[in-house]
Amino acid sequence: MFCDFDLHMPDRLDDALSVLTDEKGMPMAGGTNLLVDMRSRKETPASVIALGNVGELRGIHFNDERTTIGSRTTVSDLLQSTELVSSSPSLVEAAAVFAGQMVRNAATVGGNIACASPAADLVPPLLSLDAELMLVSASGSRTVPLADYYQGYKRNIRGKDELITQISWARLPENSVNMFYKLARRKGDAITIVGVAVTLSISNGICRKARIALGAVAPYVLRARESERRLEGQVISEELLCAAASQAARECCPIDDVRASATYRRHVVKALVGRLLSQSWNRLV
Amino acid sequence: MIYGGPSDETAPNVKRWQVGKPLPRIDAAGKAFGSTPYAGDHVMPGMLHMCIVRANIASAKLRFLDVAKARALEGVVEILTAEDLPIAEVAPGSPDRDGTERPNTGPPILAGERIRYFGEPIALIAAETRDIAERARQLVEFDLEPLAGVYDPLEAMKPGAPIVQGNDNIVAVRNIRKGDAANRLEDADYVVENTFWTPFQEHAFLEPEAGLAWTDENDVINIRVCTQDIAHFRAIADAIGVPHNKVRVRGALVGGGFGGKEDCTLEKFLAVMVRKTRCPVRLEYSREDSFVGHGKRHPLILRYKTGVGKDGKISGLDVEIVADSGAYLFLSPYVLLYAAVASSGPYRIDNLNVRARAVATNNMYTSAFRGYGSMQACAAYEQQMDEVARVLEMDPIEFRRLNYLQTGEPISTGFVPPSAIWTEQCVDRAWKAMGGPVNSTQEHIKIGRGIAAYQQSYGRLSFLGDTSEAWVGVELDGTVIVRSGVADIGAGQISALCQITAEILGVALEDVVIYSSDSAVTPLAGRTAATRTLYMTGNATKQAAEAIRARLVRRAAQEFGVAPDEIDLVEGKVLARAQPDNCMSIGALAEICETEGICRSELAMFHPQLQDFLDPETGQGQAHPDYVYGAHAAEVSVDTETGEVCVLRSIGVHDVGQCINRAAVEGQIEGGAQNGQGFALSEEMLYEEGRLVTPSLSEYLMPTSMDMPRVESIILESRSGIGPFGAKGIGEPAITPVAPAIANAIANAIGVRVFQMPITPERIVNALEERDKRRRTMTAR
Repeated sequence: MFCDFDLHMPDRLDDALSVLTDEKGMPMAGGTNLLVDMRSRKETPASVIALGNVGELRGIHFNDERTTIGSRTTVSDLLQSTELVSSSPSLVEAAAVFAGQMVRNAATVGGNIACASPAADLVPPLLSLDAELMLVSASGSRTVPLADYYQGYKRNIRGKDELITQISWARLPENSVNMFYKLARRKGDAITIVGVAVTLSISNGICRKARIALGAVAPYVLRARESERRLEGQVISEELLCAAASQAARECCPIDDVRASATYRRHVVKALVGRLLSQSWNRLV
Repeated sequence: MIYGGPSDETAPNVKRWQVGKPLPRIDAAGKAFGSTPYAGDHVMPGMLHMCIVRANIASAKLRFLDVAKARALEGVVEILTAEDLPIAEVAPGSPDRDGTERPNTGPPILAGERIRYFGEPIALIAAETRDIAERARQLVEFDLEPLAGVYDPLEAMKPGAPIVQGNDNIVAVRNIRKGDAANRLEDADYVVENTFWTPFQEHAFLEPEAGLAWTDENDVINIRVCTQDIAHFRAIADAIGVPHNKVRVRGALVGGGFGGKEDCTLEKFLAVMVRKTRCPVRLEYSREDSFVGHGKRHPLILRYKTGVGKDGKISGLDVEIVADSGAYLFLSPYVLLYAAVASSGPYRIDNLNVRARAVATNNMYTSAFRGYGSMQACAAYEQQMDEVARVLEMDPIEFRRLNYLQTGEPISTGFVPPSAIWTEQCVDRAWKAMGGPVNSTQEHIKIGRGIAAYQQSYGRLSFLGDTSEAWVGVELDGTVIVRSGVADIGAGQISALCQITAEILGVALEDVVIYSSDSAVTPLAGRTAATRTLYMTGNATKQAAEAIRARLVRRAAQEFGVAPDEIDLVEGKVLARAQPDNCMSIGALAEICETEGICRSELAMFHPQLQDFLDPETGQGQAHPDYVYGAHAAEVSVDTETGEVCVLRSIGVHDVGQCINRAAVEGQIEGGAQNGQGFALSEEMLYEEGRLVTPSLSEYLMPTSMDMPRVESIILESRSGIGPFGAKGIGEPAITPVAPAIANAIANAIGVRVFQMPITPERIVNALEERDKRRRTMTAR
């Protein structure tokens, strides 16, 4: 079972940050990953800072420009918000197929980002929305694009004394479609084989903005930047979307694991990116 | 037995007032409200907590094992290794009457020098708390020297392969031969040959293995455990070297068995530890322990070669089966026999040649699992039927219709089942329920439908001999007690026995209480396996209840001055049919019996006639008492770009003979549909050099409620079975045809077959790509 650890259960963010100084301290939000890893002794933290009582980190807020959510917002919370469905459809789609109901009730948006799993289902949508993270420590705060957050397999730029406190993104431009698709071996409670989120903004037949984010096909959730560049500024055509899909498949670097082979994952990236792009285009014309 | 012709309903010959109704099971409320104690809920003051040290290499030599550091830990009470055990080798529990020589491959309780599979137990720890036991496990030092292993049954049969068991790794051989298959294949209009692969499967019951053992005032070792077979008390006693009457197994309601709790699981570990420490000991498997702690479903490789005429009649069939037995024998010879007997399916095949072998490897050992070899055979023969139909360019159902085994005709072993064979009715009903065709609205989504029929035995192998006992007694207030050693593994076994008793004695189900699953005080009823409990113990219970009924009726007839056949027992009352005023409560009648010394209880035994072993050369003879027939139909959608499959419809149609509890029968059909769908599509135990790499329920993917369509159950009742009231059985039959129905639906949807289960999205994509490649090559030519 678990190793011995000190448990902190702060009520306020300041208190949480004040104990989050030790190298071996580990923040815990929903615990749906951490507790599993501790049970199998993959993780043996000296102290756990449980954030469950820090109410200020939970909530979804909208203003004219941006959507902002607290990092302790649960996946189930995302599914309760009707406004989110229109502002950030891919995130809601991902939340709906995220694990199973019991995990959704506990797992949090911040936790899903911080665990840095390449298969984290909320990350492709948030990347496709150009989300930014606010990282706060006892000595200050900073805002970083989610696209710059990951540095390698389960590695990110969060300092040991920092917490993700909120995630925010700008409203989508007019004439945009934002979608997510999760491919897994079953519909409920499954780890993603390939996750794809796209944003496509088109006006006058020209792609103004393209975002393609790919889950579970690289050491961390990846943006297919080359593929995006091929689309932006171009006149949209079936051929162009097809070329972008092939490019996305070239940009990913999947591995073989128990769920699927790298070859299959690459094949699916091409199929799903192509499908999501052309579905988006069809919705806009 | 008289049959009403090819109709799918036969009227019951008497009015039933309990049997057949969908009554709430007697165990339902306790489970729903959480008040039912399972084996793991039992605790005792001063009990010790156990854990198991397991080998982490599949094929190895244990060079050294040092428990000194672990033993020194405060709170550790005892650590046992192979050296400490009285008898290392213990044969599997089943009596060996199969007529074949077989190598001594019984697993030791704890491995000594030779490690044959990943997870093999090498030491047992008992400590004052679970936490201390766990810490002690980390302190046990051992060194394994890897030895060459073999992980593929085909490789294991090759000369020079590392030997796991016996001289050549072949641990069982079963042949069936009748007619002249070789020549009929030679002169057939078409010969269709295919090879099918079926995977390992994990039972994944909700309740992992758990047990508590203690020594009582008679120096009897008591073991409270979740098991399908309390009669293991004998094997446990033999293992620790005490007389059989010094071990008592007390079952509990079991949170799922599916065959995974048919062999001994943790009983022997508890027994050796309680004997050594004289303290109560408790052991509970984690899910990870459970994954490596009991045998899996045998993966089979089945090569089918079918000869067929232009008229669609099968002229000959040649089948070769190779089963992966894993590191130890367990029930492999029997599972293999089931597969061989079932391999021709519910079809009339006069020229048949089956060669089946079970092969030892360093994979996890394989043993009983719902369907027990027959369902793997069905997965192959029903896909093969569709493939043959495709070659003939015939409708798969019409092709089957030309070959169905009919009531009164012999199966593969030459044996004529005593009951009705309603395959045709079941298939037709399933297909009719499917309704008109459905078309996909999206280009990349294809929709397809498939059917599979089956033959599945119920009752134990006829040459092993089988008995089952039940005791029934009427109390002085008219309530009823049943005692029988059956293990209820969640399928409604004990409730069905109560319902049968209630029917015969004319009381309500609530008026019957059953005591079950205690090897010392309930009459032994045999294991809950082989779809035998309703047939065997149902008959024993019925016999006991009928004997009491006869005595009660005789006494009442005397009381009312009428003939015994004019007496009815209904709703807790005894009455003369023609004179409704002549009436008394069953309790009052029981009082009279008590006063006059008329016995109000009865112990009955049911046993089918013992048969000779099948002919060792030809496999001809009686393998089982009888068979169940039915079908499953599935409709699927397949995404041709990603290979994703969605099961849209799942329809089980089974001739169960007679429902005892209709709701329980539906429950079995629904569970079978889920269990079979997982086998077909998503459940995969992956081993790398024998090491399980999918050891949790997040990697081993059973279908969830999100993946299941609404399962449609169509229950036919031929009332021709040899169980109580003409019942057959449904436990195993429910799963048997599900996977091939889904496989056939997928092939129907995409026009290409995946020959290896589980049919994963990746395998579908690969099969489609191969086909496209073949097409391109052909066009280029």
